[in-house]
Amino acid sequence: MNKISARQIYFFLACVAPVGKLILLPAQLANFSKNDLLFPLLAHILLQAAAVFCVLLLSKKGQTLYDLMENAFGKIAAKILAGVFALFLLFAALLPILEQKLFVQNVFYDTLPTVVSFSPYFLFAAFLCAKPLGGFGRTWDILAPLAIVGLAGILLLSAPSADFGALAPAGAAGGAGFLQGARSGFAWFYDAALLIPMLGHIEYREGMAWKGALFYLLGGAFVLLFFATFYGIFQETAVNQLFAFSATSKYYEGVTTLGRIDYVFIYALALVMAFYCALPVQGSIECTLQACGRKKYLPTVLGILLSAVLFALSLILDYKFADVLQAISGTVFWLFPVFCLAVPALMLLFLIKGGRRETA
Amino acid sequence: MKNISGKLKSDLKELKKLLPAEDILTFEFSSERGLEFALVYADPISDKELLGEQVIKPLIKYEGEKKAKDIGEKLASPELRTEKSFEKLTAEILAGNPVLLWEGADEAIVAGTKKVFVRAIAEPSTDVVVKGPREGFIEDVKINTSLVRRRFKTGELKMDMVEVGRRSKTVVAVCYLDGISKPAAVEEVKKKLNSIDIDYVPDSSYLTHFLASRPFSLVKQVGTTEKPDIFCAKIAEGRVGLLVDGSPIALTVPYLLIEDFQSSEDYFVPPYRATFTRLLRLFALIVAIYLPAFYVAAQLFKLQLFPVKLLLTIAGSIRDIPFSPSLEMLLVLLVLEVLNEASIRMPKYVGMALSVVGALVLGETAVSAGFVSTPAIIIIAFSGIGLYAVPNLIEQTSVLRLVMLLVAGSVGTYGIVLVTAFVILYLVTTENFGAPLVAPFSPFVAHDLRDSLVKYNLGSLPTRPELLKSPNKRRLK
Repeated sequence: MNKISARQIYFFLACVAPVGKLILLPAQLANFSKNDLLFPLLAHILLQAAAVFCVLLLSKKGQTLYDLMENAFGKIAAKILAGVFALFLLFAALLPILEQKLFVQNVFYDTLPTVVSFSPYFLFAAFLCAKPLGGFGRTWDILAPLAIVGLAGILLLSAPSADFGALAPAGAAGGAGFLQGARSGFAWFYDAALLIPMLGHIEYREGMAWKGALFYLLGGAFVLLFFATFYGIFQETAVNQLFAFSATSKYYEGVTTLGRIDYVFIYALALVMAFYCALPVQGSIECTLQACGRKKYLPTVLGILLSAVLFALSLILDYKFADVLQAISGTVFWLFPVFCLAVPALMLLFLIKGGRRETA
Repeated sequence: MKNISGKLKSDLKELKKLLPAEDILTFEFSSERGLEFALVYADPISDKELLGEQVIKPLIKYEGEKKAKDIGEKLASPELRTEKSFEKLTAEILAGNPVLLWEGADEAIVAGTKKVFVRAIAEPSTDVVVKGPREGFIEDVKINTSLVRRRFKTGELKMDMVEVGRRSKTVVAVCYLDGISKPAAVEEVKKKLNSIDIDYVPDSSYLTHFLASRPFSLVKQVGTTEKPDIFCAKIAEGRVGLLVDGSPIALTVPYLLIEDFQSSEDYFVPPYRATFTRLLRLFALIVAIYLPAFYVAAQLFKLQLFPVKLLLTIAGSIRDIPFSPSLEMLLVLLVLEVLNEASIRMPKYVGMALSVVGALVLGETAVSAGFVSTPAIIIIAFSGIGLYAVPNLIEQTSVLRLVMLLVAGSVGTYGIVLVTAFVILYLVTTENFGAPLVAPFSPFVAHDLRDSLVKYNLGSLPTRPELLKSPNKRRLK
């Protein structure tokens, strides 16, 4: 059960990965890029698709991240690099978890304090991290249709309220708007990095690299459509709509007679998101296990430990989300292109230089 | 353990020492030529009439040698064995087979005149069908194996007998089709059965604990059925079946969760109808588990989930209820569970009265008295009925419903989402006998979807399920 099939990877890239971009990112991009928010988004999707291509090409070797590093740089360097990557993934987990916490607090509850409402998530995260990686692959088989139903449902309920003309004229935000939007969006695009700890567990199939990239683009198309709808509905006020996918569908006419029927889709997406947000933590544990060796209870202990750390951070940073967002998407945004774009590209480049290039 | 000596008195004394129970009787008699015989048998489970006809009568006139072979030839019983060791002889006596000893015997003769107490073969009350066979298994393993054998007139059907239980020596028939079931699965079943060290096996459900890869799991990991037609259909797909003496419930492995959403009737009605009913069962189960939880969570944390008019109706009906929504729902649910439990155990004539008490007194009066609201009763009633759409999962789903309700009352809708995530993760990582529990959905096996929640036409199902890894894949040419 420790293997992830090609189909499961495609499901993840096309259906699960897009769900992580639907809460704060639309408002964030609207803030910097205004009606041009689709351009930085498209740039991120294309870059990530390229990075996904690199990682999936690397998976052909059937070696883990640690094995690849060990063969290239030796044991000590491999341990250090795997450790650094584990730390990065733990850092990458912070924003989506805080974002999700804020979302749960604001969208699902009118009365309950966030400590009570969101704390159980960390129990789930610990439980999830103790499971083998193959378990993740199997969850994607279940989550993919849920994500499709959720996304399609939200889009169907939202699209009639959208004025897509609000996206014109293209280029109004200028180059600066594009660059600022692109910079602030890096923190949400780490999908290729999530695949790196899975190296060695992915069952490679012929043509998997380009198919994976294509599936990522397909999921990206969904995200683009959603962002366009989002901006089409809220236009200039989009910047204030922090919880995008729960906000777009509430103008559906049937709400009066049927109630908030859109919550069916919102809950489906929240379920997918619960798994997606724990992925970096699981990736971090996997890198640590590769570096330190697999011991029987180590994944469980690490899962509990890291979830506890994140829980503590979520409490400490409860009222400082704006600062955290500013720090992660502004000050240290460069960490993301380094680990999510440069690392896969460099790893592949290194293998090509070593005369070990494989065809996609 | 030692063997018989040939000295009748001494051998009888030894047997009596080994079996001192008062219902182990000895009948001593002599032939007309003066040869002394003794029959040792367990009184309640040996058929004395058969014993007299098949064993005692022929021996009264016996004039031959003292050899077991010669004596055996004179007996009229079709089921005869010879044994020497006291250990085996005591086991046979306790199984209901009388043992014949005589003076100067080289071996003892075991006569298969066991008394069989069986009830009639009837339709199982847990699996009633409108169309299709109505036979059900009973408690006798021999009758049950005959019901299976009748459906497979082929030598490929194997029935390996295994004894389980130090004291009960319960016979378990491991049934499979040679060349169709995966040999590794058959071996694993036998290995697990042989490793069981328990003194008594009252029912097949005892074995499920030992056959499961996660013995403490909440979810079921072994398939169960009371119907021979379902049992045989599962064996024909490549599964391994177990018939346990004393139990009308047969076991099958590997088990997939989807099996419990399928009914035998699905195969006797048009495929579109079968697909519809399967989806309906899933829908009923989801609603049964989630509806009470969402109703409570919506009242406590998210009133927007209700349409405005429904919200006004609910608000009107709960206005004077003294309990919180979660406590109210929990009370109604507990009453339902108690009524359910009591109605199953009560004698039938009291059960009718109990239904009246449950429906009128507890339902109508509780609403009139303002203890509980009408929507709560409706929701729990619907949930109660919905769970029975998939009766084989009732133990698991009723617990899950309770957990959902408790979480909804304390953490609200996101709690429900998280419990669902827990359940999904737990289910997808559970596998037994090499088959993942939630397959063919996870891992996704497109071929096996043809007979999952949807049901294809029989002509579109030419091969056995891929998941069972049968060495012989084709079943329809």
